[in-house]
Order: sequence, then C-alpha cells, then structure tokens
Amino acid sequence: MHSTHRRRLILFIVVGAVLFYFSSRVGILRLYQGSTVSMYVIAIGSIILLTGYSGQISLGNGAFMAIGAYVAVLSQLYLDLPFFLTFFVAVLGAALAGLVLGIAAARLTGPYLAGATLALAVALPSIANLFPVLGGEQGLGYDSGNAPSLFGEVARFKWLFWISSLAALITCLLLQNILKSRYGRAWKSIRSNSVAAELTGINAAKSKVLAFVLSAGIAGLAGAVLTMSLGTVSPSAFPLSLSFALITGAVIAGISSLLPGSLVGAVVLVGMSQLVGALTTRFEIGDVLAQNLKELIVSALLILAVVFTPNGPGEKIREMRDHRKHHSHGGHR
Amino acid sequence: MMRLNRSKNALTLTALAATVAMVATVVPAQASTDKVGVTSNLIKLGISQPTDGPASAGYNKVAPAMKAYFDYINANGGINGRKIQLTIENDGYLVQNAVNKSIKLVDDGIFAFVGSLGTANNLNVASALDLKNTKIPSLFVNTGFSGFAVKKDHPSMFALFPSYYMETKIIGEYIKKNYPNKKVGIIYQADDFGDDGLAGLKQAGITLVKEVPYASLSQADPRSAPAWITQLSSAGVEVAIMFGVTSATGAALGAAARAQYKPQWILGSVGSDVTTLNALGISNPILNGAITGSFLPATTDLTDSYIKLFREVNTKYNPGVAFDSNVLAGMNTAFVTAAAIKAAGPNLTRSGLIRTIETKGKSFLSASLTPPTYSTTSHAGYAGFWLGTFNSSGVLVPETGKYKVYTTDSAKGKVVVSTYKRPEVSGKGLFK
Amino acid sequence: MEKLISASLIGLSQGAIFALMALALVLVFRSTRVVNFAQAGQAMVSTYIGWEVVTRTENYWIALPAAALAGALLAAIIETFLMRPLAKRASHGAIAPVASIIASLGVLGVLHSGAAMIWTTEQKLFESPVSVNGIEIGSTVYPFSQADMLIISTVVIVMLTFAFFFQRTSLGLSLRAAAFQPEISRLAGVRVDRVRTIGWALSGAAGAVVGVLVTPGNYLSPFSLDILLVYGFVAAVIGGLESPQGAALGGLILGMSLSFTSIYVSSGLTFIVPFIVLLLILLVKPKGIFGGGSSRNA
Repeated sequence: MHSTHRRRLILFIVVGAVLFYFSSRVGILRLYQGSTVSMYVIAIGSIILLTGYSGQISLGNGAFMAIGAYVAVLSQLYLDLPFFLTFFVAVLGAALAGLVLGIAAARLTGPYLAGATLALAVALPSIANLFPVLGGEQGLGYDSGNAPSLFGEVARFKWLFWISSLAALITCLLLQNILKSRYGRAWKSIRSNSVAAELTGINAAKSKVLAFVLSAGIAGLAGAVLTMSLGTVSPSAFPLSLSFALITGAVIAGISSLLPGSLVGAVVLVGMSQLVGALTTRFEIGDVLAQNLKELIVSALLILAVVFTPNGPGEKIREMRDHRKHHSHGGHR
Repeated sequence: MMRLNRSKNALTLTALAATVAMVATVVPAQASTDKVGVTSNLIKLGISQPTDGPASAGYNKVAPAMKAYFDYINANGGINGRKIQLTIENDGYLVQNAVNKSIKLVDDGIFAFVGSLGTANNLNVASALDLKNTKIPSLFVNTGFSGFAVKKDHPSMFALFPSYYMETKIIGEYIKKNYPNKKVGIIYQADDFGDDGLAGLKQAGITLVKEVPYASLSQADPRSAPAWITQLSSAGVEVAIMFGVTSATGAALGAAARAQYKPQWILGSVGSDVTTLNALGISNPILNGAITGSFLPATTDLTDSYIKLFREVNTKYNPGVAFDSNVLAGMNTAFVTAAAIKAAGPNLTRSGLIRTIETKGKSFLSASLTPPTYSTTSHAGYAGFWLGTFNSSGVLVPETGKYKVYTTDSAKGKVVVSTYKRPEVSGKGLFK
Repeated sequence: MEKLISASLIGLSQGAIFALMALALVLVFRSTRVVNFAQAGQAMVSTYIGWEVVTRTENYWIALPAAALAGALLAAIIETFLMRPLAKRASHGAIAPVASIIASLGVLGVLHSGAAMIWTTEQKLFESPVSVNGIEIGSTVYPFSQADMLIISTVVIVMLTFAFFFQRTSLGLSLRAAAFQPEISRLAGVRVDRVRTIGWALSGAAGAVVGVLVTPGNYLSPFSLDILLVYGFVAAVIGGLESPQGAALGGLILGMSLSFTSIYVSSGLTFIVPFIVLLLILLVKPKGIFGGGSSRNA
C-alpha cells in the first residue's frame, strides 16, 4: 500500500515537471486551454466521485462551482486572504452548502435529487442579482496574484496555468487516495447494493452525504480556479449548460474512472469546438450546419458512450486487457 | 494489486503525455506588442459575439454588417494602403466562450478587438486578458454599460453607445415635460443593466409608482409577462417604461395588448428593434404609439446621407440581409473604427490608436446625431438620444418631425437639447 | 381584489401547462423509470411539425393532432432504438442508476442542434385559433383569454382521458401492471416491451400538445420550450413523479407560487421560486406529495 502511495507521488511530481517544462513552450491560447482543462479535470472529478462512486446524480455541480467562486472572491475582498488560501475557503464554503443540501438530499433518490439540483442550478445565477454584495451581473474582480519572485517575471497565462494544473494534480492525488480508501469502497458497495452494504455495517445515509459534501467542495475548488482564470466572478459564468457539460465530460470518458477519465473528458470538452471548427473549414460546411455541428457531435458522443461503453472506454479497454491477461496466465494459476 | 497499479499509472502517464503533446506547439516569436496585427498592407481586427444560440436573435447581424463595411472599404483600396480583416468568433453569448475566443483572437495576432458584444462578456474578457496592463485595444464595445467609459478601470477600452443611465435620464426629462402628473411605472431587467436605467430615472427626479424587475437567465421567460402587466395595471400606471432586452420587451408588449392594457409605452433602445420585435410576434399595430430613443438616424430615413450609404453597402456587401437597427449599428461601428484608423496615421500602433481616439475622437464623423465625447480623461462615446414614436407601419417618427437630440452625461449633468450639426458623409465614407 | 383574481388566473393557466409537461414526464417515468430530459426537445420538434402543418393548411385544428402524432412517433422511436437497448446494456455498473437520465440529455442535445440545422434559430410564429385577448368583466379586463381557456380545458380533457385509460381499459391496466411489476406482468402474458413503448408514445403526444398550446401568443425556437422542462420536472417531482394526479397538483402548486410571488413579492424571483418550493416540499415529503408510499425502490 505504501509503495503505491509513493509511486503516485512520484508520478505526480514527474507530470508536474513535464507540464512546467511545456508551459514555457506554448502560446497563450494553449496555456489558457490548459487552465480550462485543469478546471474541468477538477470539476469532472467531483462528478465522478458523486455519480461514479456513490451513485447519486447532480445536475447542479455548476451551482457549487459558483458558490466556491463567490466565496473565494469575497474572502479575498473582505478578509484580504492571499489567493491560495481563498482556494481553501472556496472548498469549505461550497462543501458547507453541499452539507446543507446533502442532508436534505440524503433522503432523496435518483430523480428527486436530480430535480432538486437542477432547480438549484437554475436559481443560483439570479441570486447574485438579489444581493448587492455579490456585485450583480458585472460581478466582482479577483486578483490572481503574481508568481513568487524566485521564478522571475512570469507571464499571466503561464502563472494561471501553473496554479490551475497544480490544483488539478493535487485534487487528483487526493481524490485517488479517497476513492481507494475504505470510503471509496463503502460508496461502491452502497451503489451496487445498499441493503447488503448496510448489513456489513456501513451507514449508507451518512456515507452518501459525505460523498455529496466532498463533491460539492471539489466543485467549489473548480469554481475558484475558473474565477482565477477569468479574473472575475459573475453569474453568467455559471449557466445551466455548464452543469450539463460536466456530466457529459464525466460520462464520455467513463464515469468511474478518475484517471485518465476526467482528463480525457476535459480534453474533449475543451478541444471539441476546435476540432469541429477545423472540420467545418476543411469541408466547407455551411453556416447553419457548422454552428450546430459541435453540439450534435458532443451529444451523439454522449449517447454512444452511455450505450456502448457505459462504464467508460477506459473500463472497456481494461476489461478487454484483463480478459486477455486472464487467458494467458490462466494455465499457471 | 501491484501489477494493476503499475498499468494504471502507465495509462495515466500516457494520457497526460498526450495532453502535453496537444498543448505543445511552437510559440511564435514575440515581437513588440505595440505593432501586433499590422503589416504594410493589412490590419487584423477581431470580434467575439453570438452567432447562434438563444441569445443571438438580432445581434448576430452586427458583426456581418461590420465586415460588410470593411469589405466596402477594402474593395476601394483600404485605409493608408492597408486592408482591414475582421475575424468573427462565435461565443454563443456565454462568458467562458467569449473569453476563450477572445484569447484565440489575441493568439492569432489581432491588432485590436472591435465591437465585442455584451456587458458580462466584455468584463470577463477584460479581466482574463488583463487588458488594463496588456493595453490591447478593445474599441467601441457593443453595450451601454457606463463602466467601460471609465479610463482608470479600462484604459484600452472605448465605449461607443450612450450609456443606459444617460438614456433613462433623457427619458425622465421627457416624461417630466410631456407627462407631468401621470403615474409612471417601469419593467426592468433585474441586473446592472436595469439598475443603471432605474438610477438614471431617479436622477431625473421621476417618482415611480411601481417597479417591476424581471429575472434574466439567458433571456427572459416570456410566460411570466402577464404577471408584470398585472402589477403595472393594478398600480394604475399610465406611463410604462420597458427597459429590457428585446425578448422581454416583446413579451411585455404582447401580454399588455392581450390584457388590453394601454399605457403610454416608453421602450429602452436595447429592446426596441422593430425587425426583431416583429419576429417575436409583436405586430406594428401593437407597437403603434410607443416611444423609444435612438442615437442614430431612423433606419428608414432615406434623406439621411449615412443611411443612404449604409443601405447601398448593405445591398452590395451583405446581400439578403434586411437593413435594420442592428445592421445600422454594425455599419456605424465599422465606420467609426475606420475613422479612428485613418486618424491614427500611416504609422499605426496600439498605443498610438488609443492616444488618437482620446485626442481626436471628439471630431470623428459618424452617423450618430451627437458627436463622441472622448477625451484624455474619459472614454465615453456618444452622449445623446432623440426620441420618436412608432407609427402604425412600424416607422419611428421623430418627436418634432426632425431629430431633436437631447444630450447629457453619465453623472449629475443636466439634460439639454444638442446644438450639434452633424456634417453629411463625405468621400463616400471611404477614408481615402 | 382584481389583483388577487388576476394572480389566480395567471397561476391557473401557467399551472395547467406545467401540469401537462409534468404529466408527460410522469408517463415515461412510471412506465420505464426514466427521467426524460429530452421531453422538451421532443415537444419542440413536434411543435415544429405542427408549425409546418399550420403554414401549409392554415388550420390549427389539423396541426394539433398532427403534432401529437409526430410526438408519439418520435417518442416511440427513442424508446425502441435507444432506451430499450440502453436498459439492457447499462443494467449494472457505476452508471446504471443514471444512464437513462444522461442518455436523455444527449437526445436533448441532438434534437436542439438538429432542429437548429433544419429550421434555424429564427423564431417561428403560430396564430392562436381563438382570441388571445383578456376577457372583460364589467370594466375590468382580466389577463385570461379564450386561449387560456383552451389550454386549461385541453389539459383537463387530456388528464381525464389518461385517468380513464389507465383505470378502465385493459391496455391501460396492463400498462400500469407492466410499470409496477414487469416480471409478473411478463409471466401473465403482458407484452412488456410493447406496453412500455406505448407509455413513451402517450408521453410524447402529451408533450407535443404542450408545445402547440403554449406557442401561439409566444414564439417557437429550438430553445423556447426548455424552461418548461425545468418547471415541468419540478412540478412532477413535487407531485411524486409517479402519479398523474400528483403531476396535476404539482403543476398547480408551482403555477400559483410563481404567479403569487411575482405579483405580491417580486417578479425578479422567477427562477428562485421553483427551487424553494421544491426544497420545502421535499423536506417534508422526500418522494413528493403522492410518491413514496410504495414498497418499491428504484
């Protein structure tokens, strides 16, 4: 077990070093897209934990992102917290909101939970316009700070990319450990059979609330990362389509695979419009078709993913490989 | 266990390496940023605006109209020997897309943004791209939010439209003069856009007997309109101001017509484009008698030299598109842009362009009936409106038969009648 | 007093629409345990079919059944070619509890973009067959028109028809049986698959009726019915997701809450009210007003 921990840590450092190296070799668009991918990795991670492991569905994780984002900004504005601390506060704030809803949600199953979270996602943006302290439609500014002087002069987008990819790496590391821990196993067993799980002494209700709270907190971190790259928090950054996009990203790459699932999902979400853009110019597709092609492809992919690889392409590949391995090693066992 | 983990790690590593590979493209060599996007024969401009999606109705005509005008200039030799290339990016009116597309434009090496649409989108783009420090010009943004005129906050951005605050101050003065002692009420969008409008009315000293906010999502929910109307009618409102986007304006006018509630309507200019209202099912008889403001001549005014020119350009370079107020606004933005580029001279730089607008912007010609008010301290554009009444065929007829233009500022300044005499369009609008 | 009456009438008319949308969702849910987010898209596409018919025949009364038929057909296709195989393939694993919700989100996206490709995003208009003007009683005009009466009466007729169908006809009874006890029904000779498809088709027709009813006096675009999905879903959840009576009651509760808070508190709360109402009701009854009594667990 310990060696796995150490191996993960080493991997984490290697990946970090590779990203650090490449951050100096790309343009601002790629850096910004890298930040967006990192943000999505975190946000999709929150869905994977909630849906893939504990079997609950939330159509409102975009709302928890918004809560995290606002908490981060307000804590900077009023408590003067340094920006990395605002991230922690964002996680706590969103997790608290998740706890409130989660206690209510613990009694809600599938569709009822979907309904409550959907209504939340619709309600949240207009709340910002009710309270002047939230800055209304123009929102509030967020200062993402500068790199420590030991790095020398660091361009804004490079700095943003460093922070967001670091946040994503840490989140993945922690999440991976949580999912492999007894909590993760408990969620899985509740998901597959809650009665049997209760019999083995797992408190299903508590365990589900815990998943909901953690998921909300992680979504809050994603919200803070998003706000950092935008430099502003405003209600229009958190439309209902964001919540739907998170689910799409999580499902396309396999709902129960944190890595590489969340990464593949995030890359698909960010890269698809570019890919479609390239396709439409290449094949000279008409305007009306071109403008709607991206949504069509992403939606079709979502359907195909659910039908053909319900547990993700990663899972599918692993299944096939395990199957092969089983065959080749079968004789020795 | 061990084996499984190792293979998992390998998989992870592969995936990460794949992203890194995706991310890794060679950086273009960094030149001085002041001349980015300008060569001896080309100027690259960019705009981010919605060309599809629920919020794109009407607005999707703005950028193509701009492009049409630039095409007209290019076909006649460009400005100072340079052609103008406008790249249009579709943001679907979503903040995240607007930021992503704007960064793409900068990465593609544009010289400046021009006419980017939407308050929230522009604010997010400004902070994400740190326009304050990078000083990438964002010219003549397509919104009436007064904040973009504040040089201290947005040193490289220029507003063009009169602010919402100016508009309702002028409407307020008009009400005081023409409808004294009438009960005034308002339906407004429950965000900064509406709040700005509300504040202008209060500055003008208007007492509102009823304030009806409506929640904005990506657009208003038309089904809630009967409830807005009930509130106005039961408060006995006789002069009803509708200060919202076109979808909400249409919903309110429709619901009022159905409830046979007939106040004197005064519509904010944001929501009063006839073509878009017609498309939403608001027929001209319903619009008949409603008052609204505009800072540009009426789209139907063929005696106006600018309208005449723009209509000709539209027919030739934007074929098949009806000439409405969105097309007019787009053409006019392109016209002002051309004026600014011409004034900045042959040695075109970002900082030079900004300085030129600040120092010479006041004298830029355009279709607007008030001149821009740019100065070294303020980036506010036009500062006036004329008011008119829709007749039964949807034509906006000016108050006194001729354009009577009121002008004011975004602070406590008085509303006065403008004495500005706009020169006619010269040199076929080509900036030779 | 006028204000009170107006608020009630607006609430009633809105509530009827929400109720019918909720009913469409309930019909699918109780026959196949699927929360169908594509409902808004299906209704939208069917309404476009209705619009095509109206522009060709200039007759609303032909368009309404045509749209309903199209809605039924579309729903049956989705059920047969997507939801049924999905139920078989994704019956286990992490995604099983939510696979159908997610697939329906995908269908919604396909319908949105498909409709935008075919009909563009420009708004289409529908004339109402009856007057949309408010009725005049004494000197007061109330925000309630013949069109609103048409909406309410159509919704009531559809609801009563369904009630009769489920309780008095053998097909209706087997539908209910198949929903509640699919295995036993199968043994009893009910063709469960066919019965499920019929449940979807009925729901598709109900959704189409919603679209054709609300579009006159409004407009049609690929997105114009989306917000109704949110309201309809909230109404269905309030009612308990499984009971048509619950859908009716949920729709009414939501319609009235929206109308009264709009008129008496603030119309800026339109998007917050559904969440608050839903949360309050779910806190007291976690499975909605009419839901949950049963021993089954989804």
